[in-house]
Amino acid sequence: MLFLEQPPRFLFFTGKGGVGKTSIACAATIQLADDGQRVLLVSTDPASNVGQVFGVTIGNQITAITAVERLFALEIDPQAAAQVYRERIVGPVRGLLPETVVNSIEEQLSGACTTEIAAFDEFTSLLTDTALHAHFDHIIFDTAPTGHTIRLLQLPGAWSSFIEEGTGDASCLGPLAGLVKQRAQYKAAVEALADPSRTRLILVSRAQNATLQEVARTYQELAAIGISQHFLVINGLFPQSETQQDALAKAIFSREQEALSAMPAILKTLPCDHLQLKPFNLVGLEALRQLLTGNVQQVIVECHKSVRINAPKLSALVDEIAADSHGLIMFMGKGGVGKTTLAAAVAVELAHRGLPTHLTTTDPAAHLTKTLTGTVENLMVSRIDPEVETERYRVQVLDTKGAQLDAEGLALLEEDLRSPCTEEIAVFQAFSRIIREADKKFVVIDTAPTGHTLLLLDATGAYHREVSRQAGSTGLHDVTPMMQLQDQKQTKVLIVTLAETTPVLEAVNLQEDLRRAGIEPWGWIINNSAAAAVSQSSLLMERAKNELNEIEDVAHRYAHRYAVVPLLKNEPVGETLLRSLIYP
Amino acid sequence: MKKIQVFDPALCCSTGVCGVDADQALISFSADVDWAKQQGALIERFNLAQQPMAFAENQIVKAFLELSGQDGLPLILLDGDIMLAGAYPSRAELARWVDITPPDTTAKPAKSCCSGSNCC
Repeated sequence: MLFLEQPPRFLFFTGKGGVGKTSIACAATIQLADDGQRVLLVSTDPASNVGQVFGVTIGNQITAITAVERLFALEIDPQAAAQVYRERIVGPVRGLLPETVVNSIEEQLSGACTTEIAAFDEFTSLLTDTALHAHFDHIIFDTAPTGHTIRLLQLPGAWSSFIEEGTGDASCLGPLAGLVKQRAQYKAAVEALADPSRTRLILVSRAQNATLQEVARTYQELAAIGISQHFLVINGLFPQSETQQDALAKAIFSREQEALSAMPAILKTLPCDHLQLKPFNLVGLEALRQLLTGNVQQVIVECHKSVRINAPKLSALVDEIAADSHGLIMFMGKGGVGKTTLAAAVAVELAHRGLPTHLTTTDPAAHLTKTLTGTVENLMVSRIDPEVETERYRVQVLDTKGAQLDAEGLALLEEDLRSPCTEEIAVFQAFSRIIREADKKFVVIDTAPTGHTLLLLDATGAYHREVSRQAGSTGLHDVTPMMQLQDQKQTKVLIVTLAETTPVLEAVNLQEDLRRAGIEPWGWIINNSAAAAVSQSSLLMERAKNELNEIEDVAHRYAHRYAVVPLLKNEPVGETLLRSLIYP
Repeated sequence: MKKIQVFDPALCCSTGVCGVDADQALISFSADVDWAKQQGALIERFNLAQQPMAFAENQIVKAFLELSGQDGLPLILLDGDIMLAGAYPSRAELARWVDITPPDTTAKPAKSCCSGSNCC
């Protein structure tokens, strides 16, 4: 493996949830320890099975892994760390200030930023503690801070006005007020990150267009702030040997190969390792040792009886939606789970049933929009470009509000405008123009704001004002927009996920977040399911078998209603193929 | 020298960028505070989300919160007395309260912050 050749002290694995960062980090740690190095593995994976893999309870302290000599591990739970910070600020005033005030403070500190910063705070000592470095040759992290977090920590404006005085401007750095470390320590940590002789970043991806593009963005963002030593790992590649058995397997193989050749040019310059999809679960030492070795022992896969599930199909959900004859349908989920395709399929089906429907998407390629525009009766298609909307919002804010700021203040404002919240707000602002149509027809949207954002907007009435302004004088007399979103008769939120551990866990977090805002997700859709597909490939059948636990959990623990959509040979484009998702 | 204390509502970001509409009043006020400080004024700001203890420990602010809730913020005290609630003072007002020379240009009109509620 190229990424393990002459490794520096710190290795960070980064990539979106479910690409296999934790497994690869575990495997890399074992290999380095086997080679005689003393290694510390730091896992922040909320679905961490590191303890299970090594057969020990780890938790928030450095624990020796007896099964592998020289290997130590530490688990950090970013949510728990964020909770500690919240409590440090909110705890002392609980009972002293009115409950509504206390709740509002807690919500301010419940965003993704708080979790990010809290996790970085936990990293800081690991990056700067020289006594610790005397003990370990390598420290391996199964996650990495985002460019946004690092840039904020680099801004002098953020520190001078906020941390050092303890008063004044708050920003995305707000949560740092509850932190205990000194600026010098954060500075040293950021320097260690940007030093290629000490730090290597390993970008982990799957061979999928959307995922590769996201990785390219991460790379550019980190390179721009001086973190330049990157390696790329393409994980879970479908092996060619499987393709003779099965048409679906063949389609997946070609799709992945196409994605690899269409990979963004800047990624093609990076040292790159390919890891094949393994016909076994990555649990246990032996399995992990085999993950990185090129010549995998031929594992004989027992020929499973083909897995059959009797899960509800998307058509059942559409029947229920159609019964209400109008309303807002929002699809929510992490990037790459297929929200846009599913939104299009549901919209096309509603239109096909004679119900006037407006589909509006954030589809960056505008592919769907082009193929559907004007071709389906009762269907109107529109698109908003998140980049354009975010840029418009940025320019508007900087022009009008940034004019009076000094250089440091302006830099901080610009960085705040690069936060993930900004894009979410800009996009939702654009959508709010269309949402009002939902009292007459169906409006189907392939994205939704998080509960955290809605609560912040609602707490100040800003969202209400915005939608009322957009709506002009018509309608919305006694119902606030927040109430409209909370009422399932008017708004249905569908959570989209994949039948894999991390994506399901991320979807559960999204659901919890919406519930805080009083929005109960109406249903769940499990997309790209091998268990719902028909295949002879032993690899796909193995995967299907592994999906069953996750599907079971969604069905019985998380969702009020759900549907499973099969893994398809081809990207569904056009009315007919999209409708085939509804009636597989 | 008299002391001005500003008790801000819970803001994720002082610029209001995280809101649907960035709040010009907040941005102007930040600039006014910087200006007044440069003229020697003594001004402290407290953000409800970051320094809630400052709110809980001040009896006047605590009583105000119990009565008006956080929607009533910001609250501005001059030597412990309430001078303004639900809006930020103008540069001229700041200057008058602490007896410093007002700005040369015609004082900007007080920008009330969205009729009392804050915009962030």
